[in-house]
Amino acid sequence: MDRNLAHRNRRRALKTAHFIGLFLVMSIICIPGLWIVLNSFRPTVEIMAKPPVWTPSFTLDHYRAMFGGAGEGGVPVFSYFRNSLIVSVVSTLIAILIGMSGGYAFARYRFKGKSGYFVGLMLFRAVPGVALSLPLFIVFARVGIIDTHFGLILAYVAMNVPFTIWLTDGFFRQIPKELHEAAEIDGCTRWQAFWKVEFPVARSGVASAAIFAFLTSWNEFALASQLTRSVGSKTMPVGLLDFTAEFTINWGGMCALAVLMIVPALVLTFIVQKHLIAGLTFGGVKG
Amino acid sequence: MTEVTLSNVVKKYGKHQAVHGIDLGIHDGEFVVLVGPSGCGKSTTLRMIAGLEDISGGEIAIGGRVVNDLPPRERNISMVFQNYALYPHMTVRENLGFSLKIAKRPEDEIAKSVTEAAGILGLDELMERKPAELSGGQRQRVAMGRAIVRHPDVFLFDEPLSNLDAKLRTQMRVEIKKLHQKVGNTIIYVTHDQVEAMTLADRIVLMRDGHIVQVGTPLELFNTPVDTFVATFIGSPPMNLVDGEVSGGTLWLQGGIELPVPSSARSLVRNGQKVRFGFRADNLMPVGHSVEEEGEIAELDLTVTLTEPLGTETLLFAELGGLEVQAKMFNPRPVAPGEAMKFRLMLDKTHIFDAASAKAIRG
Amino acid sequence: MTRRRVPEWFVLLLPAIIVIAAVVLIPLIFSLYSSFTPYKLTRPSTLWKWVGFFNYEKILTDAKFWAAFGRTVLFLTIVLNLELLLGLGIALMMNKVTWGQRTLRTILMFPMMFSPILVGFQFKFIFNDNIGLVNNVLQSVGFQNASLPWLVDGNLAMFSIMFAEIWMSTSVFAILILAGLFAMPRDPLEAAKVDGCTAWQTFRHITLPFLMPFIFIAMTIRSLDVARAYDIVQIMTGGGPARRTELLWTLMSRTGYVDARMGLANAMGYVSILLSILFTIYFFRKLSAARAELGMAG
Repeated sequence: MDRNLAHRNRRRALKTAHFIGLFLVMSIICIPGLWIVLNSFRPTVEIMAKPPVWTPSFTLDHYRAMFGGAGEGGVPVFSYFRNSLIVSVVSTLIAILIGMSGGYAFARYRFKGKSGYFVGLMLFRAVPGVALSLPLFIVFARVGIIDTHFGLILAYVAMNVPFTIWLTDGFFRQIPKELHEAAEIDGCTRWQAFWKVEFPVARSGVASAAIFAFLTSWNEFALASQLTRSVGSKTMPVGLLDFTAEFTINWGGMCALAVLMIVPALVLTFIVQKHLIAGLTFGGVKG
Repeated sequence: MTEVTLSNVVKKYGKHQAVHGIDLGIHDGEFVVLVGPSGCGKSTTLRMIAGLEDISGGEIAIGGRVVNDLPPRERNISMVFQNYALYPHMTVRENLGFSLKIAKRPEDEIAKSVTEAAGILGLDELMERKPAELSGGQRQRVAMGRAIVRHPDVFLFDEPLSNLDAKLRTQMRVEIKKLHQKVGNTIIYVTHDQVEAMTLADRIVLMRDGHIVQVGTPLELFNTPVDTFVATFIGSPPMNLVDGEVSGGTLWLQGGIELPVPSSARSLVRNGQKVRFGFRADNLMPVGHSVEEEGEIAELDLTVTLTEPLGTETLLFAELGGLEVQAKMFNPRPVAPGEAMKFRLMLDKTHIFDAASAKAIRG
Repeated sequence: MTRRRVPEWFVLLLPAIIVIAAVVLIPLIFSLYSSFTPYKLTRPSTLWKWVGFFNYEKILTDAKFWAAFGRTVLFLTIVLNLELLLGLGIALMMNKVTWGQRTLRTILMFPMMFSPILVGFQFKFIFNDNIGLVNNVLQSVGFQNASLPWLVDGNLAMFSIMFAEIWMSTSVFAILILAGLFAMPRDPLEAAKVDGCTAWQTFRHITLPFLMPFIFIAMTIRSLDVARAYDIVQIMTGGGPARRTELLWTLMSRTGYVDARMGLANAMGYVSILLSILFTIYFFRKLSAARAELGMAG
């Protein structure tokens, strides 16, 4: 029975270690984000206090200042939020349409040099935003679309199309070819077969691709910081910089804006988290 | 000596109890088949023996050693899985030698064992291929080869043939039986297919809902089923069962058909007892197309509704008191549906079950 | 039937090709050209002066550039490897969780939602030497004098940046590897147990080879946007103190936007693009190889 006992004890020890490990990991993941949220509700005096205050008091000052038009430090948060929303939503919609058509081409047609085209497209996604921002700034300035929604939308569409192609290609490939063949025999044109049969089936995959595109646009900084200049086009990530002055940072206000940035992203992610994972892996493994 | 003993083994998943305290002794070198419908607990039982599932209660001993909490690697067993479970990234040779490599055996010994196993199963040509490049039957053979290279105390088979097509299944069945005759180890084999159970087993363990219903040799289960469940599960086609009532020496079947109570059961039934009367298709044959046998015989006039010619015999579906029963016709001639025929029923080969308990009434 | 001449697949791909050509390819060609000129934003006429490989010679002989380049490669190597190891560990732990797994998985995706620049600010705040969470905690638990200059000392700053980067991106690995573990057939794992493997041997010989494609997908996805680290570094230290955390990307943006030396900056840009592309191609190849190994291709 000794060996049986030894194994039982070992299993128990492993279980405890497992629990502690998970707890640590989850803490490290959660604490920084929660810290930001917590501090958005604390008065500036308390944030700056030395020695630190550990019993937080509660205030909505930072939010009041933020939503009260040009409040604390005169940061026009509403405009930034509106800009972010317009740019992200429009660029996502266009990127999905273009990317879906490309993904469909890769999933359903056989043509010469297919994998070459595919890798080529993906490589454009690998171009670092900073490296692209320099020439793009000059070109956009020449064309005169710097500091406009249109310019930023265009840039984000180009940035998101390759990845969207990758994801939708994976999803369309999951759908059996017979489906659209059956639809065509039932009297659909190829176009109808796509919209009435294949698209609804792949809808969840397309949704996850859309979330990725949206998040990329919503969170992008390197391009936006160069291509936008004024209140009329700056997005929230660029707006965060408004809270920094030469030597000081308005931490409370920044935390409040940060919360405003995170919430939509979190909500969207919760809705489609299942498809998100499926999307990434289908695209890759069955490639 | 590697007998396997299960005493009062229980498996619970939360509130749900999958195995209800089963007792089973398996002798050294015995080929035991656990059979039953899906969800009966047979696979769970096998996996508990393998150490892949925890035991919720009771005791399992292999070769006299209690193994309740031992991991599989300390049980000296090997297992063939339903989906073969071949390692996809290894060649056939690596798959076969993997367990020996893990046990840190010397290279030359591994090579020898692998070659030997490959020889037994005819895998020599395939040694450098990967599982993805093999057919179903070949994968099955590799899975078996992987089990035998280790010379384990006990072989466990978990529905190994259910993914093969009918022809291959028959062929592999023979190979497994030959393998057992060659190596002589204890084998515990799980299947839902009663044909496999009948053809392979030294002893069959028939399970239902986490309980053992009957343990015995294939012929014991076939000839003396303990209840209606065993009677209908074992044998193909399944035993015909007709409701009836005993009255004096007469058995009144549903639909008003009258038969004498078989003499062997006459003293065991009560007057007015509700029973289920069972007989196999093999024992109901049209006059002139039967296997001539002596014994108690009753004659019945039945109408044929459907025929299934099988070659040497034809399976007849006939109407008996509103029920459809199956009969066998040897030296068959064409029969048209609707034709009335006279049948001989071998009364001494029939079974009587109590209607309430479903248990067999037998001396 | 003139329509027949253009194949359907090409029509479907055309919008993608046009957008990418307009927004990425043309600027890249332009920047390639300008990297052979002494172009300065302040003096547009310099765009027409051809200087050949002067900019490239200049950066290739510049110690500052090489320091940043070396630091970038080192940074990526350390960060990617740690992310992989941590992600693998987290995924294995998550896989063993029997209840509340959906919730935990959602929490795990938390950092993926954060804008890199936000991560930068967040950790700039947390690692602040005066009011940051880390120093406050250290002081409160008894290290009265502990006021570690997390973002001011060169080595500590590098550590803080790596911490932020790892915090942000480990999830990608964890989530993808977890998906791999879910997709893994159970039979071979059980077969390995029966074949006599210990937990470690099962992991080493069965689980890990199966996970390789998933690991390389994660690597490929990650290598597509390694340059996101720019946002973090830019916010946390701006490449300082005294260029101790200078990466290729911060050096490039400083050269281009602060010094306005576009030609030179674009030359650096090309080096960084090549670096990203090399990483991506490397992992893409590995991915194909791992897939072939498992017989998943096709």
